Amino acid sequence: MNIQFKKGVLELCVLSLLVNKDRYGYELVNEISEKISISEGTIYPLLRRLKAEGYVTTYLKESQSGPPRKYYRLTDTGIEMVSTLKDEWFNFTKGVHELLNREDLNE
Amino acid sequence: MNRKEFLNELNKQLKNVPTEEKEEVLYDYNEHFDIGLKEGRTEEDIINSLGSIKTIAKEINANYMINIASKSNNAGDIFRAILATFGLGFFNLVFVLGPFIGVCGALFGLFIGGAAIVVSGIALIFGSFLQPLLPQFIYIPVNTFSAVFAGIGIIALGLLWIIGIVYVTKIFFKFTTKYLKANYNIIENRRGVDENSI
Repeated sequence: MNIQFKKGVLELCVLSLLVNKDRYGYELVNEISEKISISEGTIYPLLRRLKAEGYVTTYLKESQSGPPRKYYRLTDTGIEMVSTLKDEWFNFTKGVHELLNREDLNE
Repeated sequence: MNRKEFLNELNKQLKNVPTEEKEEVLYDYNEHFDIGLKEGRTEEDIINSLGSIKTIAKEINANYMINIASKSNNAGDIFRAILATFGLGFFNLVFVLGPFIGVCGALFGLFIGGAAIVVSGIALIFGSFLQPLLPQFIYIPVNTFSAVFAGIGIIALGLLWIIGIVYVTKIFFKFTTKYLKANYNIIENRRGVDENSI
C-alpha cells in the first residue's frame, strides 16, 4: 500500500486511539498492528512529531511489571485534530466507496 | 542482529541529531524492547516487527530538521539541518549544501570588508593624531580636523555596511529554512497542519 497514504492515516489511527484512554507506545503499536500491517518502528517517530506539534503530551507512569512507561495523552488541540481528521476520513472513504460501487454496477 | 546492535545502528544513523533528542528516541525503543521481552518475545522477533532502521532514522532526522531549523537563525543549526536532510536525498548535498557554504563564505567576507572599513576609519583618526609625533611613518595629506571627521564618516559607513550584511544574512537563513521545509514536504509529501488536501 502507498507509503504516503498510510502515513496520514496512521496519524489518524494513533490520535483516535488516545481519545478515550492514555496509552504507552508499545500498547499503541500492538493495537494498530493488530488491524493494519505497518512498519512498527515508525510509530515512535510519529509520536515524537505529534508531541512536537502539540497534539499530545507525555508522562511517565510506574508499572507493576517493570520499568516506568511513557504514556501519551491528547491535548485540546489534539482532540480537535482527531475530530477534523475523522470527518475528512469518513467523507473521503464515503466518496471512494461510491465511486467503486458505481464502477461495479456499470460492469 | 540483536537488541544492542539494533540500538547501536540506530544511534549511528542519528548522529546529526542533538544528544538530548537522540537519548529520548533511544529511550522509546529501549522501553519497547523491555516490554516486548517481558511478554516473552525474542529480540529477533521484536527487531523484525520494528522494521527498517534506515526508515526510522530518516523520519527522526527529517522531523528534527523541520522543528529545529525553523526556530533557529544561526548557521550551525541550519548546517545541521541540511546534513539531516541528506537522508532524504543526495540532491540536497550538492545543490543545497554547496551553495549554502558558498554564500555563507561570501557573507562572511562582506562582513569582514565592513569591519575593515571601520578599522581604516579608526586608523585614520589615530593616524592624524599621531602624525606630528611620528612624521616619518605616518603621512596624511589633510589637516587633523578634516582627517578626524573623515575618519568618523568612514567608521559610520563601515558600521552601516556591517548592519546591512547582518540583515541580509538573517534573510538568507530564513530563506534557506523555508527552502528546506518546502524541499522536505515535496519529497515526503507529508500532511502539514495547514494543508487542505491529503
